[in-house]
Amino acid sequence: MKRPVRLEAGQKLVLTANRLLDGRTVWWSAEGTWVPHIGHALLLDAEEAQVQLAHATEQAQHDGVVGVYDTAVQDSVPPEPVTVREKIRAHGPTVHPEFAVETAQ
Amino acid sequence: MSVPVGHYQYDRIDRDFLQARIAEFEGQVKRRLDGTLSEDEFKPLRLMNGLYLQLHAYMLRVAIPYGILDSRQLRKLGQIARRYDRDYGHFTTRQNIQFNWIRLEDTPDILRELAEVDMHAIQTSGNCIRNVTADEYAGAAADELVDPRVHAEILRQWSTLHPEFTFLPRKFKIAISGSPNDRVAARFHDIGILARPGEDGAPVFRIFVGGGLGRTPVIGEELFDSVREEHLLATLEAILRVYNAHGRRDNIYKARIKILVQAIGVEAYREAVEAELGQMDLEQYRLTPEAVEAIRARFAVPLLEAPDDADAVLTQQRRDDPLFDRWVRSNTHVHRDPGHIIATISLKPAGGIPGDATSAQIERLADLADAYSFGEIRITHLQNVVLGHVRKDRLRDLWLGLSEVGLAEANIGLIGDIVACPGLDYCALANARSIPIAQKLGARFADTALQAEIGALRINISGCINACGHHHAGHIGLLGVDKRGEEFFQLTVGGRAENGAAIGTILGAALPEDETVDAIARVVDCYLGRRESGETFLDTLTRLGHEPFREAAYEAV
Repeated sequence: MKRPVRLEAGQKLVLTANRLLDGRTVWWSAEGTWVPHIGHALLLDAEEAQVQLAHATEQAQHDGVVGVYDTAVQDSVPPEPVTVREKIRAHGPTVHPEFAVETAQ
Repeated sequence: MSVPVGHYQYDRIDRDFLQARIAEFEGQVKRRLDGTLSEDEFKPLRLMNGLYLQLHAYMLRVAIPYGILDSRQLRKLGQIARRYDRDYGHFTTRQNIQFNWIRLEDTPDILRELAEVDMHAIQTSGNCIRNVTADEYAGAAADELVDPRVHAEILRQWSTLHPEFTFLPRKFKIAISGSPNDRVAARFHDIGILARPGEDGAPVFRIFVGGGLGRTPVIGEELFDSVREEHLLATLEAILRVYNAHGRRDNIYKARIKILVQAIGVEAYREAVEAELGQMDLEQYRLTPEAVEAIRARFAVPLLEAPDDADAVLTQQRRDDPLFDRWVRSNTHVHRDPGHIIATISLKPAGGIPGDATSAQIERLADLADAYSFGEIRITHLQNVVLGHVRKDRLRDLWLGLSEVGLAEANIGLIGDIVACPGLDYCALANARSIPIAQKLGARFADTALQAEIGALRINISGCINACGHHHAGHIGLLGVDKRGEEFFQLTVGGRAENGAAIGTILGAALPEDETVDAIARVVDCYLGRRESGETFLDTLTRLGHEPFREAAYEAV
């Protein structure tokens, strides 16, 4: 099992993956489902994330997702990813505003 | 159906093979969806069929062999973009097209639609021989010595599903040209081939090996100067066998042929190839004149007829219309027939996304190809489109037609003709976004008169060290790097892919994304301020060295 991520102050972890059918970015929610809007992502401490990550990875095929991992976000409402890469995954390509993904719906 | 101009005509065997391959992949997709195949098992299978999983969706990369399409194929690509994607496609630096918003379950249907027009996505990914690229002016340019397309097709057939070369240590890229002016970046390929007529008139092939960009940029070295046509396939087979046997498989970053050539030296590599040739049954690989002619017969030849005054008409139209004249200056090339001209259509509108075209533009290009260039279209490795055989007296009508769909940008070879990979907006490997920087630069230098004043200056942008934007070969190159989750760009100058190939020199520390465009503008200003009469950017750089440009880039930092 991978070691817990070291989070900076004000940060939490969320779980993310891509949907198997269409590859869309999805986030692990408090309801225990994968959702397309980061606003519904479940915020986790590092140790909680480790447990949830192991569970979600094991269930990936059943849940129809690929490539489950955790990533750091600012502990805010809605949560905002820390890295440019994850911001783009959360909100869509920056060069096509018409394809933007809403934070929550 | 008539034989297409410019590319090989499929027959029943080709089409039956594609259908069988699609059925096979459809079964693999079904097994992936029902869980019989894990992602680890499925990934190499989908990659062999050109299907990647990127940041937001699956991406399908469709092969365009040696960059040439006919109008029905282009129209089909437009239909696929509209039906299965988000109404656009992205032309790549390997003369292919990518669709960025594909659903896994739609992929077999898309492949069936592609097969209707003799297209596929096979070997556009994976550790195999990728799409063979060729000179975008093949069969048309006045400076061409040998039309490379027939041999490109022979290489396509040889390399497709080659049983020995399906699991190479790493991907393998081949380019071929028949012009003394290298327009295919031959020395930046795993194998670069330059064809010319031999003493008896039959083509001979100069072969470079071990070139490449990526993490370790290397200029390819000449392996053989004059390989005879009959030995072309045997020679390539031997080169690949040596690589397949000795290329590293323990480290992905050291697995390309360039690392092997660098490690043992080109002389040792040549000896190994010659030893391999010595034990091969050369007769089995002999490319006979009859075999070459059989392939050539599957290409239609355009009937190049033009009125006697075609050139005079074009000359007058250029005098009458300065905007058209500017476009002709930058976007055309001399054809081998005096009544015809080669038109390059820019996919680099000011502030736009390099290489992107909407469904409507793609379909309009197909119509224009039918009307003006025998229904033939070429995709360039610089992410533009070429109509190869346009009658001079009809060129202005073509230009007007292009203007109607925003495709008449006059910037080929100029600073606005930026090459950029998809970058972090789409690509799972990228560290930084290439497209926004390209858009900002395109907008900054939007004035076509300014671009003409600056002259030949190519900017290449890669979003990561894999260098799909060929930044090492850019006159100005930008490499996106990630520093603690933020985007920075490293600047290089002096790269070139044409004759006299060179790898760009890094100017200094990477710059924050929001300072990069200003830094490049200062580099350009430095050139404009210090150039001597008639000098291009590369000329001035060569004369002055890098230091003035480094100082200009970092003066405000």
